Amino acid sequence: MIICTNCQHKNVAGAMFCAECGAQLDGVETLITQAITDEQIANDLSKKSARQDPVSTPVNSWISLHLMDSGKILPLASRNEFTLGRLSEGQPIMPDIDLTPYQAYASGVSRLHAVVKRDAERVLVMDLGSSNGTYINGRRINPHVEESLNHGDIVALGKLKIQVLLRNI
Amino acid sequence: MSSSRQDYYSLLGVARNASQEDIKRAYFDAAQKLHPDKNTTAGETELFLGVQQAYEVLSNPRRREQYDATLPPEETINLPYLYRIYYSRPNLVNLDEPQMLYIILELAAPVETRQSPSPPLNVCLVLDRSTSMQGEKMDLLKAAAIQVLRNLRKQDVLSVVSFSDRAEVIIPAAYYQDRMLLEAKIQLIQPGGATEIYQGLEAGAREVMRSLDSKRINHIVLLTDGHTYGDEQQCLALASKLAERGVGISSMGIGREWNDIFLDVLATRTGGSSAYIAEPQDIKRLLLEKFNALAQTYAEDTTLTLTPVDGVELTYAFRLEPDPVPIPVEDALRMGPILQDASTRVIFEYIIQPKAVKSDVLLFLDGILKASIASHPLPVPPLRLRLERRVSHSPETDPPPPQIVQALSRLMLFRMQERARKELDQGNVDAATRHLRVLASNLLTQGERSLAQTILLEVDHMQEKNALSAEGSKKMNYGTRALMIASPKKEQVS
Repeated sequence: MIICTNCQHKNVAGAMFCAECGAQLDGVETLITQAITDEQIANDLSKKSARQDPVSTPVNSWISLHLMDSGKILPLASRNEFTLGRLSEGQPIMPDIDLTPYQAYASGVSRLHAVVKRDAERVLVMDLGSSNGTYINGRRINPHVEESLNHGDIVALGKLKIQVLLRNI
Repeated sequence: MSSSRQDYYSLLGVARNASQEDIKRAYFDAAQKLHPDKNTTAGETELFLGVQQAYEVLSNPRRREQYDATLPPEETINLPYLYRIYYSRPNLVNLDEPQMLYIILELAAPVETRQSPSPPLNVCLVLDRSTSMQGEKMDLLKAAAIQVLRNLRKQDVLSVVSFSDRAEVIIPAAYYQDRMLLEAKIQLIQPGGATEIYQGLEAGAREVMRSLDSKRINHIVLLTDGHTYGDEQQCLALASKLAERGVGISSMGIGREWNDIFLDVLATRTGGSSAYIAEPQDIKRLLLEKFNALAQTYAEDTTLTLTPVDGVELTYAFRLEPDPVPIPVEDALRMGPILQDASTRVIFEYIIQPKAVKSDVLLFLDGILKASIASHPLPVPPLRLRLERRVSHSPETDPPPPQIVQALSRLMLFRMQERARKELDQGNVDAATRHLRVLASNLLTQGERSLAQTILLEVDHMQEKNALSAEGSKKMNYGTRALMIASPKKEQVS
């Protein structure tokens, strides 16, 4: 018997996808990814650019994104909402924050992956129907559902880990 | 094709363990086809003599026994097609609870035949001309039929039947010198009347039977835009009969007021498939695609006849390509055609009970695979397929093959809508809603936004009306099927 980690449904041993929620069950090692091919090329390219311009944190940002793999911190200010993704050719809607320099492609970040925003009392994240999902502290969140964030939470876009640093709002 | 030394069993196209009854029937079938009074191709008289000799030996138990002793082991039979099997797990585990096993059976034409000329067609187009077809639909349907006619090769036979609550033969099955005249006949079809599919199917069957020939691809293509009432069982019985004679059915539904589940079952009875034509503008393209596929058929309707195994249940079967379609689980699984340039892949889901895994090895599939190949002069020897898995005491650690994971990740989506529809039929709206929501979010994670949107709209529709919309349910059904084709092209068996 395999218990689905997503919905607790009991699946027959040997099953590979949960019969109830469709999640891939544990033990199925092969990951299904569509977006990630030619990883190596993207990897090499992005490594170079990731090392440029080190951290400098200006004031007034309500949220900073700490990109854990490269150590870089992106302070965000001036707006209450930012879409995260990666830029690619021929794309009609561009993300506010382009994560291409941080190995976004190789990490499975979608072009429009997620959005972070704030309202009066909270900071929220919402997945925008990305290919490889958004995780908060390792828990996959449902697409198009807003989830609140706390200081220090680790949000993963696909495999790209970002620690959320909040200022008191 | 050079067939190496054929043994008597292959000549007759029967298994080594065939009964006298089987041998007799196979002989009669072959003799009918190859008899010097009837055969047309050079070399068939010699074949006929061979078949006769084979029958003389095998029909006599004593001589058969002597002959059997001279045969090489069965594995060395020369099959005119290729096959390969993928298993989801390297072995089974000795468990006290049921366990699942998936396999993909992949069939393909041999490399050297992929370029060879395809066999001639014997196809009947069965066209719905009921009142609802009036206007644009009818005009575009006629235009499509005429285009099909123009694309035919000299050796092909096309007949056309139109039907409403009765059927008319527009073009009888025959060779024609001047096809221009036929175009005019198609132009003259007038819409009017109700939809009774059996009428059309029956007339179409008669036309195909008239030039039935195992060296041709014998097929009926049914196009309709409406529901048929009361004659479903008759249609299905006819489909089964046609399947036995080697005639396939493809069904195509136009617009939204037709029964996708019925047309699917009708086609899958013969190893065929149904298609959804959302817009009349697509009729021509999809019909021509269908005829292209027919013209590329290498083997018609491959059938796997299974012997039940105690404690092992085949719970689901689905053809992944060509034309993704669920295959009804019966004793004889009709897996459909093998095309010249693409492999046929069917996935099977097994549930294995604890009592079946008490020995070291489990034979979970014991069956006979039969195919008929129009370009092959002889009956194809049936393949005895016996699939086993070792039973171990500890779970395996190897990851499953990507082919299986890939296929299941897509098939899971189709099955979820299939399940939701069943739940809805049973009046369980809550469960259906839940499963469709889950399906939508799974589609989003796989990047299929527009299909996910369609499904979310259906959820809303269901909340209000406790039913799916006619259009939405078809979009779901055929949209999730189409995902299997969207997956990246696999390497072929070679």
